Amino acid sequence: MKRFLLGTALCLAPLAANAQTAPQPAPSPANAASRWEKTVPVIAASAWTGPRLPDGQPDVSGFWSNTISNHSNFTDPQAGPPGEPSAAAKLPRDQRAPSRVSDPADGQIPYLPAARALQEDFAKNFPNPVKPRYIEPLARCAPAGVPKSFMWHGYEVRQYPGYVVFLFDSGTRVIKLDGSPHLPPQIKLWNGDSRGHWEGNTLVVDVTNNNGKALFGRNGDFMSENATVAERFVFDAAGQRFNYIATFTDPTVYSRPWTAMIPARRFTASDTPDGWHFDVKPVNQPRKPMRYEHAERICAENNGPFGGGAVGVPSEEAVISR
Amino acid sequence: MANSTLKPLGAALLLAALAWPVSSPAQTRTPGTGPAPATAPAALPRTAEGKPDLSGIWQVLGEAEYDLEPHAGRRDAPPGPGVIDTGTIPYRPEALAQRLRNFEARGKDDPRLKCFVLGVPRGVYYQAPFQIFQRPVDLTLVHQFGNQVRTIHTDGLLHPEEQHQELWLGDSRGHWEGDTLVVDVTDFNEETWLDRAGNYHSEELHVTERWKLIDANTIDYSATLEDPKVYTRPWTISVLLHRRRDKGFQLIEDYCYTLDYAPFYPHKEGK
Repeated sequence: MKRFLLGTALCLAPLAANAQTAPQPAPSPANAASRWEKTVPVIAASAWTGPRLPDGQPDVSGFWSNTISNHSNFTDPQAGPPGEPSAAAKLPRDQRAPSRVSDPADGQIPYLPAARALQEDFAKNFPNPVKPRYIEPLARCAPAGVPKSFMWHGYEVRQYPGYVVFLFDSGTRVIKLDGSPHLPPQIKLWNGDSRGHWEGNTLVVDVTNNNGKALFGRNGDFMSENATVAERFVFDAAGQRFNYIATFTDPTVYSRPWTAMIPARRFTASDTPDGWHFDVKPVNQPRKPMRYEHAERICAENNGPFGGGAVGVPSEEAVISR
Repeated sequence: MANSTLKPLGAALLLAALAWPVSSPAQTRTPGTGPAPATAPAALPRTAEGKPDLSGIWQVLGEAEYDLEPHAGRRDAPPGPGVIDTGTIPYRPEALAQRLRNFEARGKDDPRLKCFVLGVPRGVYYQAPFQIFQRPVDLTLVHQFGNQVRTIHTDGLLHPEEQHQELWLGDSRGHWEGDTLVVDVTDFNEETWLDRAGNYHSEELHVTERWKLIDANTIDYSATLEDPKVYTRPWTISVLLHRRRDKGFQLIEDYCYTLDYAPFYPHKEGK
């Protein structure tokens, strides 16, 4: 059996110094520029004037990706992960994109002391993970969860009456718009349980039932299973950008609620597929303009060292008996 | 109605007695249109474009995924009558030997035990719900188990020019033949199984699915499997899929491949 095919999966280098940085295809120049934007656009909540779907939802379906780097570093997005500072990390702070923490104003997550110690311990051990807990869960193909999914690869939004569905590189989120009650609180999930509604140009989503396991990135920023997240996806009038604004409330981890902002832009057939932001396949449509579609997303099935085998996690054993 | 004061059972019996041999109410209302069926079929749900609307949460009811072939009850499977048109799978002799080896090793080699994607068609008749989201250009199948998400494209496009991608779920292109969605699925790898009994396929598998709503809450599903490396001729699986109508039912993500390492997060020593 060809167990470890190298497909669209997250394929990671063997354990080495700072082994948790996945090799990634170099984005095309145009897309690379969009990934290294230094500023976050302001998009005001307002009425929606763009196209709508037959059920009345603003039509925001299509491909999207973040514009200020990946999940390597939550509060200094373009500085690189712990132990491996980017070239830009040498520049003055104001020459890199701002912290994703928009409130408090200092750009730091307002951890309680014990929680701060846990985050710092993870960051310190990330470059040389000697225990399973120091492996970034995404490197094991865990769902990227909230909010990391919006800093990982590009993703597709599909909309239906009563639903907004996010097809992420790692995991799928189904946001129900029907106002139904959340799952019972005993159920804790990587992506949480989402209920949303539209307010003008803004998709407002309430996320409960979080398991807190996905972490926010390679510095170990986190919430616990007691957290709730209030998300606002604010789309611009042209439908080409949105800002993801999420307020995290968790009295067991934070001294007060705080807010993250992650900017994203739309990707279309005028962009070049790059295997990261715009990770798509060309459609087979002879003599018609080029367009693209979502490719199969597989990870645990193809993953090598971190999917199992690393630091005590078996790779060939059964994980369920049902 | 005049008899509305009767208790329900009495009313039903009385109506049944009256209904034969006299005309049914439908015939009485619309004379000259021919006999009405005894029970008028509920209209199929349809999209704005007039296609059958397969949206919803579906699940098999049956034993197919334990073993597609007829089988008596055993330690790890309830009895099942089989769901194959040919009775048993028409394996080539050498492939049958492999299938028997798979069966013997099923307690550890079934990819399901690692929570890998179950593939096509196994994910459809696995005993867990999946949700169909439908647009004119595609159907998206989100399966509760693991990370299986499949797009069935219905925009008239061809399979990709790029061949031999060896996809876990294959590449699905569908079209409507009347009210039946016919899906051509190609370009598989050889990693997935067809059931818990070790029935299997090679990377030459070609699946033709037929999805047909037979009432608002039931899909008649079939999958015809061709694989010249493994089978002597095409054969067909047929199952019914039922709409999950439990009050407030929704999918609950089940990324079970995370279970081994989930106890380490967030920032924990583990088990």
